[in-house]
Amino acid sequence: MNKKGAGMREIKSHPILHFDRGGQVEFSFEGKRITAYQSETVAMALYRNGINVFSESSKLHRPRGMFCAIGKCSSCMMRVNGVPNVRTCILPVRSNMQVERQHGLGEKPSGVVHFLSPVEREETVTIIGGGPAGLSAAIVFAENGVKPLVIEQNPLLGGQLIKQTHKFFGSKNEGAGIRGIKIAKEMIQKVENLGIPTLARSSAFGFYPETDTLGVFKENQYIKVHSNYYLFATGAAERMIPFEGNDLPGVFGAGAAQTMMNIFGIKPGNRVLMVGAGNVGLIISYQLLQAGVEVAGVVEAAPRIGGYFVHAAKLRRFGVPILTSTTIKRAIGVARVEKAVTVSLDDKFNEIPNSEKEWGIDTVCLSTGLIPSVTLLAQAGCKMKYSPYLSGYVPIRNKNLMTTKENIFIAGDVSGVEEASTAILEGQLAAYSILKKMGKDAALQIDETRSELEKLRSGPFGTKILKGLEEVQYE
Amino acid sequence: MESKDVVIIGGGITGLSTAYYLAKEGLRNIVVIEKSYLGSGSTGRCGTGIRQQFTTREHIILMRESVKLWKEWENNLPKSVHFRQGGYLWLLKESEMDAYREYVRLQNILGVNSRIIGKDDVKLIVPDINTEGIAGASWCPSDGNAYPFDTIDALRIALKRFGILIRQFEEVKEIKVKNGIIQQVVTDKETFNTHFVVDAAGFGARKVARMVGVDLPLKLYRHQIAVSEPVKVFLEPMVVKGELYFTQTYRGRIIGGTDLNEQPTESLSSTDEFLPQFANEILSVLPTISSLNVMRQWAGFYVVTPDHHPILGGTDLPGFLLGVGFSGHGFMLGPVVGKLLATYIMHGTMYLPEANNLDLRRFRSGCLIQEKAVIG
Ligand SMILES: Cc1cc2nc3c(=O)[nH]c(=O)nc-3n(C[C@H](O)[C@H](O)[C@H](O)COP(=O)(O)OP(=O)(O)OC[C@H]3O[C@@H](n4cnc5c(N)ncnc54)[C@H](O)[C@@H]3O)c2cc1C
Ligand SMILES: Cc1cc2nc3c(=O)[nH]c(=O)nc-3n(C[C@H](O)[C@H](O)[C@H](O)COP(=O)(O)OP(=O)(O)OC[C@H]3O[C@@H](n4cnc5c(N)ncnc54)[C@H](O)[C@@H]3O)c2cc1C
Ligand code: FES
Repeated sequence: MNKKGAGMREIKSHPILHFDRGGQVEFSFEGKRITAYQSETVAMALYRNGINVFSESSKLHRPRGMFCAIGKCSSCMMRVNGVPNVRTCILPVRSNMQVERQHGLGEKPSGVVHFLSPVEREETVTIIGGGPAGLSAAIVFAENGVKPLVIEQNPLLGGQLIKQTHKFFGSKNEGAGIRGIKIAKEMIQKVENLGIPTLARSSAFGFYPETDTLGVFKENQYIKVHSNYYLFATGAAERMIPFEGNDLPGVFGAGAAQTMMNIFGIKPGNRVLMVGAGNVGLIISYQLLQAGVEVAGVVEAAPRIGGYFVHAAKLRRFGVPILTSTTIKRAIGVARVEKAVTVSLDDKFNEIPNSEKEWGIDTVCLSTGLIPSVTLLAQAGCKMKYSPYLSGYVPIRNKNLMTTKENIFIAGDVSGVEEASTAILEGQLAAYSILKKMGKDAALQIDETRSELEKLRSGPFGTKILKGLEEVQYE
Repeated sequence: MESKDVVIIGGGITGLSTAYYLAKEGLRNIVVIEKSYLGSGSTGRCGTGIRQQFTTREHIILMRESVKLWKEWENNLPKSVHFRQGGYLWLLKESEMDAYREYVRLQNILGVNSRIIGKDDVKLIVPDINTEGIAGASWCPSDGNAYPFDTIDALRIALKRFGILIRQFEEVKEIKVKNGIIQQVVTDKETFNTHFVVDAAGFGARKVARMVGVDLPLKLYRHQIAVSEPVKVFLEPMVVKGELYFTQTYRGRIIGGTDLNEQPTESLSSTDEFLPQFANEILSVLPTISSLNVMRQWAGFYVVTPDHHPILGGTDLPGFLLGVGFSGHGFMLGPVVGKLLATYIMHGTMYLPEANNLDLRRFRSGCLIQEKAVIG
């Protein structure tokens, strides 16, 4: 193993997590042998071994590395065993793989891949997304005698929760005081015990409204799903912000930093600048410290810190400065971030001249908000509306989470970016609503779940969501 | 209320090309009205192909001229339209060879350099092609393709430089006629005084013509199409086999489609049948692209006439002109059709005599000209 690289980036000990990395395998990267752990993806193995640049961009030939770490951004595409454009961040390592950088566009494929014949599935209820919203709905269905099909594009169920090592806020019933990873584990266990069918590593890629068919791709098979009801619990994706050098290796989505640290036990860098001081930015900064990474500072464009006071206080205790009315202007480096420049903003978010500040860092993490993942719902023909309070375009829905199409329901961050606690309740509410439509007696549970949700949203942080809901709820 | 010498309805390639040639003829007081954004109709949804391998004198002559104009566009428009003469490679079964030999003979007589080639030559042109079940191909090296969005944008910039008015997100609702003469075009935003209207409204052309009592024999057929993620360009020709067609854009994406034999429809939704069928067909011809991912699929309309030729030129109503019913070939015909309509407006006749066989009167007289080489 490349001792220097591995030593540099592997997390050796962690206050909360224990990493079960599995045995070792070897693969080839441009003729060099790389030693990887069995449980790793190709991108993680390369990164742990000190490799930052995975490809060159197609027009300007700028270096590219990992950005999202969950298969959503195409930044990590490489040629693997003669196949171009492989997203290496979600490709498990296998021994003797041939991995190469792409210089500009990939060369055409050299081998032929054989696909399994397409299959069709008839379902009563199909849930897209195996995060807290999707899993809580699945559990309600199964407990009421309906086996739903759960489709999840990642290898693991649990959504965002499987990375949350901190203790949760929210109501007792939905797991306050418990770590996110533990809530996820319990839900996944329940789903298994109830024998709920799940398709992991399966992407729902298209919804065809004329026949109400969902197109799903699993490894090398096309699956057509025909279902009486669909529940979309696809969550949200990270928002990118424009600044010079935002494509340099070493600029990560904050979620990617979390994936590296908390799932794969890899340090994203040595010294990080966090952009965004909402809960996500604050929590991940703290998790970086726990992983032994230095956090140089947190900058926030708004004049106030967006996240909870306790999270900010924890960081301050470690001496991490949080600069409000400040944003990133530039990331600088040759093959990786070496420096960053931030700038102060006035109350109209204009840059204040001569207020630049230079940071000696090797990593920039962006936690500048999430956008609901609504594309499939738009394809399905559900009416959408923009609500800044809910973080973007979201489907119009009634109080029971039915969209403008009678067989399509939503729950969780896809209905408006909020929290795991509300995602869990929304998942249950949507499930009861569908059960009621199917003729089951669920009126009482619907009322109860709705009042639980109201309670959760009655605090100061709920006002924003309530305003948003006013804009997008019908009836 | 503005007065305009010509009002062009439709901001696809037909409308913009007509405006471009009018402007070059010196007529600048004109307007193009588009109900959505430029290229939002079939033009922005098309398969990029440009060919001269047709089976009728009219199509071949118009397309031979259009290819000449595509070259001019590539050289003269303010930005590249990425016109590339990579050829059309039309794969043929044994049973099709004789018919295509005849077509090639006609194409050669009319000055198009197509020829019939054998299996081995097919492999020389595209080495990865699976020639199983194929006897040979009809090959025309001067056919090619261009990039629709760059074409639309290049025309838009050229028109802007000529000072021509383009209205987007504005829909024509009514055309007022008095004493047999067009007086006004009314949109949802404004009224234009004019005596000349060009109906270049694509899928909306029939509705526009009805505004002045002209009935057009047009049917809408949905056609679906997909693109892959990009790889370095390795495939310049357009490959055709039966209903299947595909090529690679200069940006590296494989683009192509096939026919699902649907009935006419007003719907533009994609369907779940298309991708598996298209994937099966394309992989049987080019198995080596099997590991490429599909990036997008979408649908657009072929606006089809009973004889698969467009309807061009004047109508019984003086000043009401048609550039409609391209039956799946309107992108490639765009340059020549624009020039034909512009010459009709300026000089009273279309400058290629063959075009006059394509006006609306042929449906009344029954002089239809059947096109046999239709793809997709
Ligand atoms: C750093 C951080 C800290 C947080 N802390 C808290 C906290 O303290 N308390 C709290 O209540 N909340 C917290 N949250 C928020 C919480 O994690 C989310 O609100 C919650 O996970 C949303 O659940 P969900 O099921 O809607 O979406 P997700 O958890 O995002 O799950 C969606 C799932 O759908 C899958 N998917 C998406 N599209 C497709 C497709 N096309 N095909 C197949 N699968 C698909 C995704 O892979 C994913 O697994 C935190 C979030 C972050 C990022
Ligand atoms: C899948 C597919 C593949 C194709 N492949 C090819 C190919 O390879 N080669 C080729 O040559 N052709 C191809 N075609 C056909 C080609 O796309 C069309 O023939 C061509 O684009 C027609 O151009 P147009 O400008 O006449 O119409 P359009 O591009 O449809 O433009 C008409 C415009 O008029 C507007 N409009 C309609 N009504 C009104 C109104 N009342 N007021 C204002 N505006 C209005 C519309 O919004 C539209 O933008 C293909 C078509 C499809 C669907
Ligand atoms: S897709 Fe791999 S880093 Fe985003």
